[in-house]
Amino acid sequence: MSTDDPQQLKTWLAAVAKKDTQAFRSLYDATSPKLFGFVLRILIKREWAEEVLQESFVNIWNNAASYQSHLAAPMTWMTTIVRNKAFDMLRRVDDVVEIDNDTFDKDVMDALESPDPTPIESLQMTDNAKALARCFARLEGLHQQAIALAFYHDLSHNEVAEQLKLPIGTVKTWIRRGLERLRICLTKLEGA
Amino acid sequence: MNIQHNEKLRDRLSAAYVLGTLKGGARRRFESQLKNSALIQREVAEWQDRLHPLAEFSPAINPPARVWQAIEQKLVLRKQSSQTSPWAFWTDLRNDLSFWRGLGLVSTTVATILVAVLTIKQPEPTAPTASFVAMLTDDKAQTAMVITGDASHHQLIARVLSRQTVAADKSLELWAVPKQGAPRSLGLVAVDGTITLPLPDNATPQSIPLLAVTLEPKGGSPDPNGPTGPIVFKGAWVQI
Repeated sequence: MSTDDPQQLKTWLAAVAKKDTQAFRSLYDATSPKLFGFVLRILIKREWAEEVLQESFVNIWNNAASYQSHLAAPMTWMTTIVRNKAFDMLRRVDDVVEIDNDTFDKDVMDALESPDPTPIESLQMTDNAKALARCFARLEGLHQQAIALAFYHDLSHNEVAEQLKLPIGTVKTWIRRGLERLRICLTKLEGA
Repeated sequence: MNIQHNEKLRDRLSAAYVLGTLKGGARRRFESQLKNSALIQREVAEWQDRLHPLAEFSPAINPPARVWQAIEQKLVLRKQSSQTSPWAFWTDLRNDLSFWRGLGLVSTTVATILVAVLTIKQPEPTAPTASFVAMLTDDKAQTAMVITGDASHHQLIARVLSRQTVAADKSLELWAVPKQGAPRSLGLVAVDGTITLPLPDNATPQSIPLLAVTLEPKGGSPDPNGPTGPIVFKGAWVQI
């Protein structure tokens, strides 16, 4: 099972809204490895990551009825919950989390660096994620890193600049332009 | 600043909000505008759809089995899924040796306390005293409800000690759990205060060693043969 099929995820979420425990289990099996991997990259500590994943799925069960399929993809909705909970935990523990550079999966890194589009197509991810990967690959390495740091670690422009040992003005501009390029690129892909 | 009419700024702030780089006062100001504007909400949703797949770039890792077990436990999913064998957890309860082992001791204590309480509270010494009593406890062993049975008046009085929060579409139902066979409904109990119910003739501790309260759909269990919801309180039914 995988997270690749948003239609299947939507069907499960709709059933979870009606308190279908079987569908909830299927949804968990299909999405928890991705979400756990994500939360583990944010929090690094397994114990915290497990707690956040647990809290998130309790939240998903309780709030599935409020999921609006026309507004967001199912993975987007679940990622929002998981990310918010993980950042809450970061603030709660008030501990310095060691940020390393291996945020992305090795296959994803290789695919992003490859000039050939095939590796991205063969990655185990949703079409939305593949589209983002295609557009992300067009950004410069440091721009990618600045955006990923902010996204994964809840960093301000200032903190990203510190991490990358670059002036804050440069980082601000890179992130802004990077986001702009991503939007344009993704809109083009959608239209294609 | 109202960003409602400034498309470029709105887009930039929505992106920074979703990425997380919009912080402090600027973030709070943005959030207050976000609350009231469907336009900004849509913009944010679009940026979430664009950027959140970044989460999928990290390596997938299978969480340990205990995470699912904890979720199941927290949401009491197992009890709901055990609807296929409705008596399973009642049987478990009866077979729970530690429960029965503790029962003798608890019964004595309960009876002693209750005799004291009832003696103090009894306005007329000649009035018939309650003949049976049960103190129902929740899962944290806190006493939540006291049930007294008056055999001579065929009355059962259920008193809630602390107001219970129960969803509007749910009711609390009181059950007599016999040594053998299906639990028998004694009626619905209030979430607060005291309620009087009829006491069946043979509801003695010899035939009914245990009382339990379950959470049921509004109006009580739809199943004529017994409860459908989880047990919220339980306690031994003893003679005093």
